[in-house]
Amino acid sequence: MIKRSRSSGWLSPFLAIVLAALLVAVFSACGSSSNSSSSTTNASDAGGVTASSPTLTVLMGTAPDSLDPALGASTQSYEATWLAYTGLVTYTHASGAAGAELIPGLATALPTISADGKTYTFVLRKGLLYSNGQAVKASDFAYAIERAIKLGWGNKQFLTGYIVGAEAFDEGKAHSISGIKANDATGGITVKLTAPFGPFLNVLAFPAAGLVPASTPMKPLPNDPPAGVGPYMITHVVPNQSFDMAGNPHWAAEAIAGIPGGHSNIKVNIVSNNQSAAEQVLNNSADVFDWNDTVPGTLLGQVHAQASSRYAQEPTVSTEFFFLNTQAKPFSSQLAREAVNYALDRRALSRLDGGQLTPACYLLPIGMPGHPNGPCPYGDPSAAPNTTKAKELITQSGMAGTSVDVWSEPHPPHKEYADYYASVLNAIGLKATVKIVAAAQYPATIGNIKNVNPQTGWIAFSQDFPNPVDFYQLLDAESISPTENHNLSQVNDPHIQSELASLSPVPASKLNSVVPRWQALDEYTAQKAYIAVLGYDNVPKFTSERVDFGALVFHPVYGNDWSTLQLK
Amino acid sequence: MIGFLARRLAGMVAVLLAISLLTFLIFQVIPGGDPAVRMAGRLATPAQVQDVRRAWGFDRPVYDQYLTTMGKVLDGTVVSYSQQINVEDEIVRSLPPTISLALGAGVIWLFFGVLFGVLSAITAGRLLDRSLTVVALVGISTPAFFLGALLLYYFGYRLELLPLGGYVPLTRDPWGWFTHMLMPWLALSVAFIGVYARVLRSNVLDTMSEDYVRTARAKGLSERRVLVRHVLRNSLIPIVSLWGLDFAAVVGGGAIVIESVFDLHGVGQYAAESIARLDVPPVLVVTLLVACAVVVLGAVVDILYAALDPRIRLAR
Amino acid sequence: MTPPPPGMKSPPAAIKPPPAGGSPWRLAWRRLARSRATLAFGGLFLAVVMLCLLAPVYAREIAHTGPNDNHITETVKVGGKTLEVVSPTGVPIGPTWHSRFFLGADANGRDVAVRLLYGGRNSLEVGALATLITMLLAVLIGVLAGYFRGVTDGVLSRLLDVIWAFPPILLGVALGVALAVGGLDLGVVKLHSGSLLLPALIVGVVFVPYVARPLRGQVLSLRRREFIDAARVQGHGHMRILASELLPNLTSTIVVFIPLMLANAILLEAGLSYLGAGVQDPNPSWGTMLAEGIRLTPGAIHLVLVPGLMLVAAVLGVNVFGDGMRDALDARA
Repeated sequence: MIKRSRSSGWLSPFLAIVLAALLVAVFSACGSSSNSSSSTTNASDAGGVTASSPTLTVLMGTAPDSLDPALGASTQSYEATWLAYTGLVTYTHASGAAGAELIPGLATALPTISADGKTYTFVLRKGLLYSNGQAVKASDFAYAIERAIKLGWGNKQFLTGYIVGAEAFDEGKAHSISGIKANDATGGITVKLTAPFGPFLNVLAFPAAGLVPASTPMKPLPNDPPAGVGPYMITHVVPNQSFDMAGNPHWAAEAIAGIPGGHSNIKVNIVSNNQSAAEQVLNNSADVFDWNDTVPGTLLGQVHAQASSRYAQEPTVSTEFFFLNTQAKPFSSQLAREAVNYALDRRALSRLDGGQLTPACYLLPIGMPGHPNGPCPYGDPSAAPNTTKAKELITQSGMAGTSVDVWSEPHPPHKEYADYYASVLNAIGLKATVKIVAAAQYPATIGNIKNVNPQTGWIAFSQDFPNPVDFYQLLDAESISPTENHNLSQVNDPHIQSELASLSPVPASKLNSVVPRWQALDEYTAQKAYIAVLGYDNVPKFTSERVDFGALVFHPVYGNDWSTLQLK
Repeated sequence: MIGFLARRLAGMVAVLLAISLLTFLIFQVIPGGDPAVRMAGRLATPAQVQDVRRAWGFDRPVYDQYLTTMGKVLDGTVVSYSQQINVEDEIVRSLPPTISLALGAGVIWLFFGVLFGVLSAITAGRLLDRSLTVVALVGISTPAFFLGALLLYYFGYRLELLPLGGYVPLTRDPWGWFTHMLMPWLALSVAFIGVYARVLRSNVLDTMSEDYVRTARAKGLSERRVLVRHVLRNSLIPIVSLWGLDFAAVVGGGAIVIESVFDLHGVGQYAAESIARLDVPPVLVVTLLVACAVVVLGAVVDILYAALDPRIRLAR
Repeated sequence: MTPPPPGMKSPPAAIKPPPAGGSPWRLAWRRLARSRATLAFGGLFLAVVMLCLLAPVYAREIAHTGPNDNHITETVKVGGKTLEVVSPTGVPIGPTWHSRFFLGADANGRDVAVRLLYGGRNSLEVGALATLITMLLAVLIGVLAGYFRGVTDGVLSRLLDVIWAFPPILLGVALGVALAVGGLDLGVVKLHSGSLLLPALIVGVVFVPYVARPLRGQVLSLRRREFIDAARVQGHGHMRILASELLPNLTSTIVVFIPLMLANAILLEAGLSYLGAGVQDPNPSWGTMLAEGIRLTPGAIHLVLVPGLMLVAAVLGVNVFGDGMRDALDARA
């Protein structure tokens, strides 16, 4: 017989050595390496987290993209970094609309803004110290901005697009940003913009604009985040597995009004299995279920029965929609676009999301200034769809029988949305095929007009800051680009352009006065059916028994505010 | 002999080179796989994407990128695109769960495989043999991830006897380590137990009909002595080398799916997540590591075999 | 998961003088026919295949729905009670054991039984195609390498080494991701991304070394035998020798490998589809159904049990039959 494996007993000792070596490797690598150089001095100052404070566990399904504030741009990373890297301004630590208000952070007061809206002037507070004891200087602000640009922060276009000299710095043509002037002696900081930008103050509230010492290396430090000013510091980072939030020993002395000192030490564990994470919080072996994850539908019954006092659905300011390419068949026809809006059953889509989608038709979500109050133009999204009317419209539009590719990515329930959407399109007279692309490829694929020119697909957008300008980048003709397109419906509407031109420069303080115009604009968008909105995401606020549920603030921008996380 | 060794070594290097090139090229071909678009952030302008490209060298010719990346791999400085952490450090960090899984499962499947195989062989044709054969066949026919999911559901979710996935380091909590690894071990071992039981059964049956065994029996040795001294020793030899190769395969690839089902955060899961993120450097390094292990072990087996069998050496 | 390398199956001794009672093939067939277990399981596999082929009939006559029709907000009457196909929190109904939603519904409100049968067609088709690709390539490479030796053998063996050393799951997933969107466009051959040939190709290529190496070994040893030398002396060309002398002696090895490879191909396809690299949406397959079941609705265990058990049944049928066939062909067992 011919045997596949051929050897003699000589092999056994060799394998024994290999095994022994491997065992050594296992035990030496066991316990996992932790790389952090946090110097926690025993600060027993009142008001603030100390080593003796209780430790609570948070379970996150997806690891933060980076815990270096100059790089992190995902909601998971903001959740941690906004408490460790305070900028010149920051958000109020409150839920709802109150949380969207900006308050002074490391600056003494909100800035004076010049009449033309292009110059912001701040004064840095005196006597501030970083978590490593170094003194905070005004010029550190300029360094932080330079670092965010140089290292490639995911939202750096908000900096390079508006601060004078930032683009030149980014391209290497200048050694510093000419538009930022800082005086270490007086603490004065001036920022000059190329054009007025209403949400600019919100941009400065990002952790990426949080001050860091000028001695911080100009390279990514995801595993050993830099020192910052805030109630917490990030320590013991084990990438993709866990990290800790410990109290900043120098915080209590800063006594910045409006920013709580925190109550508990926090340990964050990455647990990709939502079922497992939800189970652990349900049976109290972990404390907080991250709001970015979904409690599996099959567990919700148990959660409502056993844990109703520590579970709530919180709205987020984010919209899920299907883009409708206005420059290609069939959605170049307004009638076809209206048909989609008539035919979609948002209740079905909500079920696919475990009941956590609020059906809607407007791009601007609830909680965003400018969200319209009027009825939806193409049927009540919470009621049954009007499939008959949709079929009629398709026939009328002459697009019946057109092949449509429905794009989406595999992460549940986005694939399920696409499957459902395709079956709806088929039911009203189109020929739909689902095209699922790996999540990492997805933005580049649907953003590619040149090679792909996608007709329709799923996309979601959550706010960067509470200003409608953010969402309207998606319909701005200037966002259209052949290979990195963000205006997926390829909308080029003169009315939208003119409204945006006059509404964008309105500063945050005057936003309320233009809300009616934003509402009118959003109603116009809905009426033109440039997109088919599914609805707005709700997320779980879910904790263990021992957490003070009512005291835990759910912030409109950053989610669970860990500085308010405490035991009952 | 030296010439033969040198040729085999050259062959190994060629294979590894080919694999690294193939992996690299696969990712070049992927449409929409341009890492610069992802790295530049959510609403980046084309100019910003181009900046990222230039900074990371994605605008240089393919062979240039390949050589640079391979250089960084070999001197241990290669960094992942999506998270910008050192890949080799991350792999070392992810080794404990993978090795725990592979070693534990390896021990289990070797032990039970041999046990069932021998039992099957000595009771050949009778009920025990038939039942064990059925068990082995069902084991071979069941995908490990299906079994893993069922174990998770029944023992983790319904009966709440074992944890719902995750990994606890041995040095931190030995009992926790054990309870977390038990289901993954079982899921991974079942198929191999089936395979090994049947290989061993057939080897033992073959050996038992060999002349020298008949001689031993004729000499008056007890059946037990015959079994252990002659039959088992010779039947186990191919098993050992088979185990080595299977172990290498599990460490490299076979463990990926089990690690994903049980969320063990091992090397396999890291590789799978990196592929999903279209992150080339980690995939490249893991692939090379695994290929290395397989190729080295295979070459060792071949070299030893050639050293013993002059015919094969001359035939090449 | 990556199925274990099928090293346990060694090909039977190929060269045996024909026994007095008839050709080895007829003897083998007689032995096979006598083994009830083998026939029973072969029948099981055939039953699964038949069921899957009848998918459109089942969908039309019994379930009254197609594999991709969503019924998320609908209700179904079961034994007098009206139940929701998918609950408001997204939990699909379990098996109703009635004509509609016999085995329950999935997250999109699709009939699981219908998808199971349609998915089976895809899984089996991919498995069969992959096996064909494996056998063709392996015979080609193994025979050429073993017969011509020298440089040919060197190059082909290195090629086998590369395929062998490449972690199959990684190769499969990487290729799957690479080809998922645009398909394969080699100018001469164009495959769109929904084509079943793509996963079949990936699975097929992965298994080539498993078959090619033993075949090569067998050819190497056959080559040294007298009848080959005799044929050369007679002035026969290489092709004639390969076809008339070599291949017939390899047939039983090849035949034994087929069910083995089929079983492994079906399992690998399931693993790849689980990782998202196999059969693409919207085509169902047992692997994608398992993936959806495991990942999307933990707790709705019927979504895992149904495709999983079907998969095990099919593969078991093939394995037992293949086993019996091997025993029948190997006179010694």
